[in-house]
Amino acid sequence: MEQLSYGILISIVGYSVTLLTLALLYYAFRYLPKLLHLQIRRRLQKLGHHVAHNEDLSVKGDEAAAIAMALHLYFNELHDEESTRITIRKIPKTYSPWSSKIFGMRHPIRR
Amino acid sequence: MKKAGVIFFVIALLATLHGLIARSDQQQADVQSETTHQVSEAVGTFFHYTGFANFTAGHGIMIAVGLLFIFLAIKYEYEPLLLVPIGTGIIIGNIPFQAGAGLQIGIYEPGSVLNYLYYGVVKGIYPPLIFLGIGAMTDFSSLISNPRLMLLGAAAQLGIFTTFLGALILGFHPAEAGAIGIIGGADGPTAIFLASRLANGVREIGQTVGGDPVYARNLIGPIAIAAYSYMALVPVIQPPIMRLLTTRRERLMRMKPPRAVSRTEKMLFPIVGLILTTFISPSALPLLGMLFFGNLLKESGVTKRLAETSRTALIDIVTIILGLTVGASTQADVFLTPQSVMIFALGAFAFGVSTAGGVLFAKVMNLFLKPEDRINPLIGAAGVSAVPDSARVAQLEGLREDPSNHLLMHAMAPNVAGVIGSAVVAGLLLSFLG
Repeated sequence: MEQLSYGILISIVGYSVTLLTLALLYYAFRYLPKLLHLQIRRRLQKLGHHVAHNEDLSVKGDEAAAIAMALHLYFNELHDEESTRITIRKIPKTYSPWSSKIFGMRHPIRR
Repeated sequence: MKKAGVIFFVIALLATLHGLIARSDQQQADVQSETTHQVSEAVGTFFHYTGFANFTAGHGIMIAVGLLFIFLAIKYEYEPLLLVPIGTGIIIGNIPFQAGAGLQIGIYEPGSVLNYLYYGVVKGIYPPLIFLGIGAMTDFSSLISNPRLMLLGAAAQLGIFTTFLGALILGFHPAEAGAIGIIGGADGPTAIFLASRLANGVREIGQTVGGDPVYARNLIGPIAIAAYSYMALVPVIQPPIMRLLTTRRERLMRMKPPRAVSRTEKMLFPIVGLILTTFISPSALPLLGMLFFGNLLKESGVTKRLAETSRTALIDIVTIILGLTVGASTQADVFLTPQSVMIFALGAFAFGVSTAGGVLFAKVMNLFLKPEDRINPLIGAAGVSAVPDSARVAQLEGLREDPSNHLLMHAMAPNVAGVIGSAVVAGLLLSFLG
């Protein structure tokens, strides 16, 4: 009976401390983004962006997905800037071996 | 006369030869019987060393259990990475042999290979190494993005304390009861860690009236087997409790998508987590220290090789040795006791209570939350730290009601919080009872 009452005491204290530990972690990570955003907020204010006054500066999952998709499309379609002028220039070299008979497969057999 | 002499000579010769032959036959028979005796003695000695001569019903039962584990792992894929080594370990540990012959082969015989490997279990070396690997493979983003879900990881530890009380009522010593209670945390390495400290068979827990020391029983094997068995059976144990404690409307509840978490937050999490949790529960330092260290290796981004080794080769090697030795520690004479049966019953109770604790706490939290922030109570069941099985169960239960309601990301948050929670509880129990 004495052991059981000791056990009940351990259980109550133990469970409360576990809840408290994770509650502390919860509070730490609830306010951590706000601390981290202080610098960003200050920079945005300096640049005059109205989003600087938004309570939540974090990017939502769907917004992040949309930005990632846009970046992906942009970088996949990236190529050099062109003049958009088509030029047909005559090449001075006239000989081309593409149909040369010496490269053909139908040579007579030499005996 | 000559003829008579020759006849006499032949008769004498025959008589001599007969005598000689008769004598050699006798000798041969003697030699033969001696050899037969020696051979039968050798065969008898050999037979005494075989498993057949030392076989007991207990060995048969345990080998059948080992085969069942392997069957469940291969056929139904219930935690195969654990059940195959444990099942094989059970068979290895229960191959009968002559115990007193000094062969140094049994896991409890000092000097045997298995005994050396078992040292890591008894001294609690393997669980922190497993935690290192878990830390290096866990993404805490879902938890950081919605930190209130951490509370579910604490709530689901209810089973540990109720089982602890149950074990006390059943007559276990408080140290043994604490080791049994941790099964409710649904975390194999934590259960082994605590059992190796509180119920390892060599820890003195009191004295008899005559002044002789009383030792805690060695419950590492039954506790580890119960913890891993129930972890493998999470998809069977949890769903009925989850359905029983929730309404259809609650199961259909959708949660808002988690926000993107910055790299700085991810890097700060293991550092802040380590300092906060271990200051409160320093006894859990081997587990929490390694968990957060592994996570820092992953999130720092500059120690990719170390993180890769921790989450692949290292954790695999330790899992193999841990599973095999824990399985082998279930030698029939040590394992088949009434205490083991009680531990299994208490373990099932612990899992049930932990699941219920998580679900009910989520419902209570919903009473205080804004409608858009409400939590689907199904993810409360993931607060038991069977990663990622219980999160997967929450996802499947959510999909049963609404095939487009994906809860996995949300359920991973209480799931990883449960790992932290059960390690904190292990540290607290060690402080109280160690």
